[in-house]
Amino acid sequence: MNSGPYLPRRTLIRRSAAAGLFTIPAVSALSACASGGGDDDSNAERGEVTENNPFGVTDAELEVVIFDGGFGDQYALDAEALYSAAHGSVTHDKTQEIQSRLQPRMVQGDPPDVINNSGAQAMDIAALIRNEQAYDLTELLDAPSLDDPSVTVRDTLMPGTIEMGQFGGQEMYQLNYAFTVYGQWYSRTALDRIGAEYPQTWDEMLAVCEAARREGMAGWTYAGVYPYYFNFTLYPFIGKIGGPEVLQAIDNLEPNAWRHDAVRAAFEAYHELTARGYVLQGSPGMTHEESQDEWNQYRALFIPNGSWVENEARANTPPDFDMAVGAPTGLDSSDALPFGALWASGSEPFLVPAQADNTAGGLEFLRIMLGRESARNFTELVSSLACVRGSADGLELPPGLTSAGEVLEAAGDNILIPRMPDWYRQLNNEEIGGAIAEMMAGEIEPDEAITRCQRAADAAAQDDSIQKFTR
Amino acid sequence: MSNTRSGEAAERRADTGGGVLNVFAHSFLVLWAVLAAGPVLWVVVSSFRPHTDLVSDPFGLPTDLAWDNFSNAWTSADIGRYTLNSAIVLCGSLTGTMLLGSMAAYVLARFTFPGNRTVHLLFTGGMMFPVFLAIVPLFFVLDNFGLLNTRQGLILVYIAYSLPFTVFFLVSFFRTLPGAVQEAATLDGASHTRTFFQIMMPMARPALISVGIFNFLGQWNQFVLPRVLNVGDPDDAVLPQGLAALMVQQGYEGDWGALYAGVSMAMLPVLAVYVAFQRQVQTGLTAGAVR
Amino acid sequence: MEGVTSAERAAPGTVPAQGGPPPVHTETPDRPSPVLRLLFVAALFTPPRWTPRRVRYDRRYRRLDQYRFVAWFLSLPLLVYLLFVISPFVQAFFYSMTDWTGFSSSYTFTGFENYERLWNDDAFWDAARNSVLLLVAAPLITLGLGLFFAFMLSAGGRKRRDQAISGVTGSGMYKIVYFFPQVLSLAIIAVIWTRIYSPRSGILNEGLGAVGLDSWQREDWLGGDVARWCVLAVLCWSFVGFYVVLFSAAMSSIPTEVYEAALLDGAGRRVTFFRITFPLTWDTVRTGWIYMGIQALDAFALVSVMVPEHGMDVIPSYLYDKAFRDGQAGYATAIGVALFLITLVFSALMMRVGRRDRIEF
Repeated sequence: MNSGPYLPRRTLIRRSAAAGLFTIPAVSALSACASGGGDDDSNAERGEVTENNPFGVTDAELEVVIFDGGFGDQYALDAEALYSAAHGSVTHDKTQEIQSRLQPRMVQGDPPDVINNSGAQAMDIAALIRNEQAYDLTELLDAPSLDDPSVTVRDTLMPGTIEMGQFGGQEMYQLNYAFTVYGQWYSRTALDRIGAEYPQTWDEMLAVCEAARREGMAGWTYAGVYPYYFNFTLYPFIGKIGGPEVLQAIDNLEPNAWRHDAVRAAFEAYHELTARGYVLQGSPGMTHEESQDEWNQYRALFIPNGSWVENEARANTPPDFDMAVGAPTGLDSSDALPFGALWASGSEPFLVPAQADNTAGGLEFLRIMLGRESARNFTELVSSLACVRGSADGLELPPGLTSAGEVLEAAGDNILIPRMPDWYRQLNNEEIGGAIAEMMAGEIEPDEAITRCQRAADAAAQDDSIQKFTR
Repeated sequence: MSNTRSGEAAERRADTGGGVLNVFAHSFLVLWAVLAAGPVLWVVVSSFRPHTDLVSDPFGLPTDLAWDNFSNAWTSADIGRYTLNSAIVLCGSLTGTMLLGSMAAYVLARFTFPGNRTVHLLFTGGMMFPVFLAIVPLFFVLDNFGLLNTRQGLILVYIAYSLPFTVFFLVSFFRTLPGAVQEAATLDGASHTRTFFQIMMPMARPALISVGIFNFLGQWNQFVLPRVLNVGDPDDAVLPQGLAALMVQQGYEGDWGALYAGVSMAMLPVLAVYVAFQRQVQTGLTAGAVR
Repeated sequence: MEGVTSAERAAPGTVPAQGGPPPVHTETPDRPSPVLRLLFVAALFTPPRWTPRRVRYDRRYRRLDQYRFVAWFLSLPLLVYLLFVISPFVQAFFYSMTDWTGFSSSYTFTGFENYERLWNDDAFWDAARNSVLLLVAAPLITLGLGLFFAFMLSAGGRKRRDQAISGVTGSGMYKIVYFFPQVLSLAIIAVIWTRIYSPRSGILNEGLGAVGLDSWQREDWLGGDVARWCVLAVLCWSFVGFYVVLFSAAMSSIPTEVYEAALLDGAGRRVTFFRITFPLTWDTVRTGWIYMGIQALDAFALVSVMVPEHGMDVIPSYLYDKAFRDGQAGYATAIGVALFLITLVFSALMMRVGRRDRIEF
């Protein structure tokens, strides 16, 4: 209830009182049981707390739902085996339709205990937090880590992991299990074939695209159906041109944040790709899988993506592909940040619903996932870094992940973390994504795309029903 | 129907005249037949082709039959389970709809009592309610009765939302039945209940079959209600949910062959049922059209 | 059921000791004794074989028997209907005036605030525009095609000496094939058409290329402004067959003599259609129009499967997002009420505009 200043003017009615207005049986039945009591945690029954069992997990059943996307679900199954060996049994479920499958259950007040809230159909985490549906994971952070009781879980995490789980306060509501490097993904083989070096400035980018065209290859492809894939390189590109403050202003929904020169320069640069015909024909209507397919078939050189793509596209990647990632190409020498700057942050969010029956089990499951064994297993299985320090140490890594490690090192401290996707999911995916989609499809000019982004951001800033965050 | 049949017979007898218009008419009819059946055929043909062929040439014919598309769809997309779930739900809901619908319709059509018009209007007015207006409260009604995410709940909801059309259709049918039969039965001392089950129901068989087919199609294909009211255990999903999930899944796994195979398996049985009963469907529509 | 058994025990004629006045057995038929009245009421709620003799041989029993039957037969359907259809609808009107999130058990009564917000919500109006477009265009196109094909099927055949009008060869076959899309679930249709519209491996672009219409090919059918026309096309595609069969049925009930008379007057096929067929099937057309309009207003399955997240919305898909994604159940029901009003206005309009005296033949 964030009705704030309006509250006194309204009459607060409990459901039971409201139901009295009707004589229809179903309505009076409504009064009998509240559907989803907002903040009672009578459900969270805890057992005895011991050193190996910091949350007092009982042998109650644990229900885990995993997003069956780029990472599959084997890593979770393995962690569940560890859990059930020590505690109760685990019910495992995987789906790609997180929202349509789970949102009604959240509304009903009968959610699973752990949710891997990810993918194109993820639930809006900000809305969940606003409605007190997400459990505060601080307890997990302060618990002893699985491998060394003298070190807390907090101290085993990669930098930025905790911040990515916070929404304007100290509470941590989601744990981003993977550590993802976003950028322009490409095939080294393809780049060699056209005899080009990885482009560092936009002029070089245009030259490489032209060279690719001569080889019958498009410069770029992207998932037009999910146009916010473009944000993976567009946001850091903006930050690189104008500095991190520009992104910060955008995240904070500041007035005229989108009208910054850096935004205009970035939009115009991207629009040039379309205007010059460097984007693969049909990209605007492709799903991520379709665009990755085309990219794997050497029909396009670059694709804006995150490091999950190596595992997601594994089945269709040719053996000689030699996948790699580069930091987003900069504009020119006047850029505020060096070429190496990129977006890298946690992804693959996990949350424990506040109304879960077995919150203790949920926390314990996450603690097991953050243990060294599970984290290394994750990195090995899906070729992605985990949010646990040293998860890749001593492992033999596939080319894409190796390259991700290299660009990450080259970036040094110049890591940009836009919060827009988590904070304002709808704004990011639908409004900004939609404007970029139309611009890249050649239907609108950069000016109009910027105007639309700004208008959408202003509308969100004024919408009381959207929770606001600042950084 | 009889009209058409005699028309065809007549055609065979005498074929004189003809002209440009006939060609014109026929070409449009053929064009639409291609448009109506084409996509269906395309899906069936494509379901035998491997993914890579489909990407390179969407129009091609299968070079050799890729049966593993079907086994992939069957196992990974669980079409079999969803079909079974749909069948179980429909067993209950279709029987219930027909029973409750004909009971209400019979009473409304053949008896005068205070409130008859009101009740009739209440039922038939429901045809105009957008399901979406009710969907959020309905969710909580079911939740409070413990019926959310259960088959019983889905069955009851299917019945409830099929009643308007069923009652509307059957009332107009029961009104056309001769009253003399009913009176004779009453004079013979048969109770109203007996008259209904043993005399009126058999007489109404054609109408019951027609409306039953419509309800079958409507409930089998229902998308909105299960998407909101049946989300508990994924193993309990009904076929339309399974198909939507399959579509999303192929977005991540990229196997169009399996998608087409899944769609084929979902639609061919229904098409078969339709072709088998198409005469009843058409007479049913006739009864509806010529009220 | 308690009352029933006690009433039965009272049946042999003993007076219940409730201190009422002793029963006076007058034979005034309009004024049954309290006991009898009680028995009647009891009999209304019990199976016929429990009916006491005294009631059974009463003159009014026939009517009671009818009412009892009506009550028993109507109660179950009505209960299910009230519970799952009517009550949610009534509740929706109430919730639409609250700020209920759908997540918690408490909410605040906000009067018409949701409606005010709705009025100023651009996204809602975008969705509403799309819905109204579908509402107007889908019936027009679908019923137009339906009538055209139905007329062709029943009157497009060769002229024959002994018949004023004749269907084309194989009209039965056409009707079967045309009905195919109607048999398929909208979910299946949406999946199929998503693939057809796919820019790289879909048959629409391929087909356009094959017939030399390369310039009509699009990179994206479902994401941008064309999407609403694509959805409209699928909607029409899936329902035309239904109306062909429906209208054929209606047309087949027009007596041949009417056509013969027209033929004698020298009417061509076009005149026959507009002067005879169309007016005589008007009732069916109007009902079909309303039904199609309601289908078009829904379109949820198509939009939610086919159109990407950033693409077009229709009212139902916007409602679904608000209710189940954004946790704004109160606002969502206000959207539902708006949808209901549109449906109502549309139906009323069609009823009124289309009302004309039924032509008897």
